[in-house]
Formats: sequence, C-alpha cells, structure tokens
Amino acid sequence: MTIIERILSNKVGREVHIGERIWVPLDLVTMRDFGGPNAILEYKENFGDAPLFDPAKVAITFDLHIPPRNEKVARNQQICREFAKATGARLFDINQGIGQHILWEHGMVQEGDAIIGTDSHMNLLGAFGAFASGVGTTDIVAGMRYGKFWYRVPKTIKIKLRGKSKKFVGAKDVILWVLKNLGTDGAINRAVEFSGDIIEPIGVTGRITLASMVTELSGEIGFFQSTVHSLQSTVEYEKVYEFDVSDISPQIACPHSPDNVKDVKDIAGTPIDQVFIGSCTNGRYEDLEQAAKILKGRKIKTRLIIVPASTKVAQEALKHGLYEIFFDAGAVVVNPGCSLCTTGHPGILAPGERMVSTSNRNFIGKLGKGGEIWLASPQTAAASAIRGEITEPGTLC
Amino acid sequence: MLKGRVWKFGNNIDTDQIYPGKYLPLTDKKEMARHSMEGVPEAEKFIENVKSGDIIVAGKNFGCGSSREHAVITIKGVGVGCIIAESFASIFYRNAINLGLPVIECPDVKLIKEGDYIIVDPAKGEIINPDKNESYKGLPLSGLELEIIKAEGLLNYLKKHG
Repeated sequence: MTIIERILSNKVGREVHIGERIWVPLDLVTMRDFGGPNAILEYKENFGDAPLFDPAKVAITFDLHIPPRNEKVARNQQICREFAKATGARLFDINQGIGQHILWEHGMVQEGDAIIGTDSHMNLLGAFGAFASGVGTTDIVAGMRYGKFWYRVPKTIKIKLRGKSKKFVGAKDVILWVLKNLGTDGAINRAVEFSGDIIEPIGVTGRITLASMVTELSGEIGFFQSTVHSLQSTVEYEKVYEFDVSDISPQIACPHSPDNVKDVKDIAGTPIDQVFIGSCTNGRYEDLEQAAKILKGRKIKTRLIIVPASTKVAQEALKHGLYEIFFDAGAVVVNPGCSLCTTGHPGILAPGERMVSTSNRNFIGKLGKGGEIWLASPQTAAASAIRGEITEPGTLC
Repeated sequence: MLKGRVWKFGNNIDTDQIYPGKYLPLTDKKEMARHSMEGVPEAEKFIENVKSGDIIVAGKNFGCGSSREHAVITIKGVGVGCIIAESFASIFYRNAINLGLPVIECPDVKLIKEGDYIIVDPAKGEIINPDKNESYKGLPLSGLELEIIKAEGLLNYLKKHG
C-alpha cells in the first residue's frame, strides 16, 4: 500500500483502493480569515445554530490580513470571533502566524490525521505524516457539521532524491529542480512520496518546503518515507522519478510560472527591487537562520522584508540574535503570517518592479499589477538582497 | 443523459480566467454569471452565445489556481450542463461535484471540436458525437458523485442522508 492508501484505510477502518470514492472522518476542519467568513455565513444559512460536529476539531486561523488593514477585513475577523465564541471552535487570532504551522505547533496535527482547510497549501501537513487537503467553502461547511468529507483515493508517484546536495543548495532548490523537470501538472491528482538521501538531512523544515510545493506540481499531497514507516516492497507506484541532487546548483523560478526554472548563475546580475523571506514554504527558524548566515555583517542594497511563519519561530529567531542581524543588515521584519504571498498584505510591488521571493507561487499580478516574482531559496534571496541583483549565494565573498 | 453544443478551451484554464478575482465581492448569481470565462481570449463570443445545456470541453488541468467556488457558480450560472476535460485541478473537480455540476475526465478531448453536438452519459463516462459517428470513453462518475449531483449539491445530499 502507498502511504496515502494506508492513512485513508486506517481512517475509514477498511482497505481502500485507488479510484474509489470514500467518506473520510475528519480530525480537523480549519478555515482562515479569508474564506472563513463565507463558510461561516453559509453554515448559518444552511444549519442555523446547529452545533459543530466537534468544536475541539474546528479551528479558525488568522494569517492573511493580520492585523486587519481595513473595515471589511476587520468585520470578517469579527464574524470569525463571534462564531468561535458561539460554537466553541478554537480561534487563533492575529498574534500567531500561518495556519498550518501554528496548528502543528499547538499539537493539533498528528501523524495519520485527516484534515481539510481553506488553503491550497494545506497539504504541507503531509510533512508530518497527516493527510490534509485544501478545499472550497462547501466542503468546509459540510465538514463543520458532519465531520467528514468525500474523497477520490489518488494514485501515487514516487520521487527519489539521491545523493548529497552541494553547499548553498537546499530543499527549495531541489523542489524547483523537480518542478523544472515535471512541470506544473507533473503530479496532477496524484499523491507524491519523496524518498532518498536528502530526506533526513533537510529536517522537518526542508520537508515542509518540499511538501508545500506539491501544490505547484498540481499534486494532492506529499509524504516522506522517513516519517511514515512503509513496507516498500508491496508498494506499486504509477511512476517513479529519480534525481541526483548532487547535480543541482541554486535554482530560481522566473516569472510567471513555478516551473519556469533556471540555474541562478545563468541569470545572475538581473537587477531587483525587493526581497521577501518567509511564507508557509520557507518561513521556519532554519530558513531564517540560513538567510541570517548570509546577511551577518553585511548591508543590503534593496528592500528586504522578512516574515517568520509563526510567533514561536519569531521568538526563537529573537533568542538566537537573528533579529539583530536582520536589522543591522537593513531589513524590515514583519509580524508572523502569510504576508507577501498575497495582495492582501502591505509590501505590494510597483509596476515593473522585481521581487525575489521564498514563497511558492509567481503568477502574474499575484503581488500587484505589473510586478514580477522570482522564486528562490532563503540563501539565494538573502544573497540577492545584498547585491541588489539576482545572486548565487556561493559567489559572495 | 446530457446533450449540448461544445465550447472548446485549451490547457491550464485557471480560476482567474474562469472568474477574475476582481469580481469576488459579487454575491448575486445572475450578476456573477455575466463574467463567466471572462479571462479567456474568446470570452466575448462565449458570453454572448452560450446557451443553457451547452458543454465546455477543455484540455489539461482545467480550474487550476485558487479554491474559489465562484468559478463553478459562474459556469453553472450561464447554463453549462457539463464540463469535459483531459484533467481537472483537484479542488475545482470537488467544487463542481459539490455544487452539482457534472465533470468528466476524458483523454480524447482533442477529437471534439467547437460547435460539435455531443451526448454525454456521466454514469458510463461515455461521450457520443453523432454527426461524426464517433464515441469517446471518459471516466465515469462514481455512484456517490452522481447522487451528490442529483441532490443538486453536497449540502443537500448530506441534509438528506447525513
């Protein structure tokens, strides 16, 4: 059995098969400050004051517009707070950070859990061996009331990542390389299992980076064989891809698609206007630490906005002196949250401006009309901020 | 059985092409339908001529991008009775079923042309093109999906069956 078949079989209480539609009992239904208010209004329209299936298993996280920037957003957050108070749903207010990250930090995500949420990167919880899926409003409304959702058991593809990566090459470079090779529909409607030599050394933070970008491959979810025990001999994969990561140099996804990937060295020198280090893909402590190692004792030549994924990450960064390094370098450090992944947050680009970002999407207009987004690792992002142009981290001296 | 004229679209038609983000604040379904497929180059022809029962046929990864349900609501709003695509983005596929719109995956979409009149059997995944004397095999919808569509959506289905 593949990992997803095993998790879903455990949830359903019998063996499930690829292609089968099943009802999955849910351990957690989550929504955000964007998407949540609509789901709440629809819940009330359909079910009035009827109780949630289990208030301890419904969570609302504020991570997009925090603190609220206008009355509309403030009202939406008020709707969420009132609903949480009335129903007993757990609320994580403006002071916590990115939903998936804080739910995990608060012990609300366990290996083998089944989770749905209003976030297309919900599936990064595969890094912890949980099954999680981004869904629309209707699924959330149904999940809150009935505690289940229907699902088509997907096929699984395997991505083997062999070898030892070069210096300044991390999980982000590896997943951009995979995107370059497989394309943005490379894992469409498929679960992904990652295996190979790099899975252990990249740690939880690196596994979050890989899992979060399964969305950009149009995949359902990514799992890791090191985190979920697997009887490999009995597994049948639809396809197996193998990459030697020792071949990879720092990678960057050029506008406007995450699979428009080039070697950083081939476009080094391209002038930039802003750098963003953070997001659900690259906002953990280890991501910030990698950036700090490059920024230490140096001054940046362009705007640099750094956003920890959660308050816990921020506290750790503060404790280890990272904030001092960031401020000394000339960076702006913003409160934890999704920040520059959407136009909902301050930091928008002017027309024609270029931003190197550690986030996961670089679609046209994603951060303001006419702005360009280039996706890279925290190390490449930090090095590029120092030179004010796209820079391979190994070339700084 | 669903019968209708075909509107043909390409690969990677994302939710922003189906329903541009600037219309997200709209809540009136009739008004939302006026902007159906507005982000594709052939938008004007589609919106002026689409008829109730027409069928959208598209390439790979239809409905990729955001999880907005508006994309399904706007397509249903103009009366489209079914979407056939080589593949669908997972969230769009779920949203379509959850809102009662049949979606069929079919590898042969290239053989179906704009303006063709086709007959679709979602339970069998069968698509018949009588004028060309052709038929194509798509992926049948499951019993559960058909029941959700019959109930006109997931919430109605669950209210009835729990």
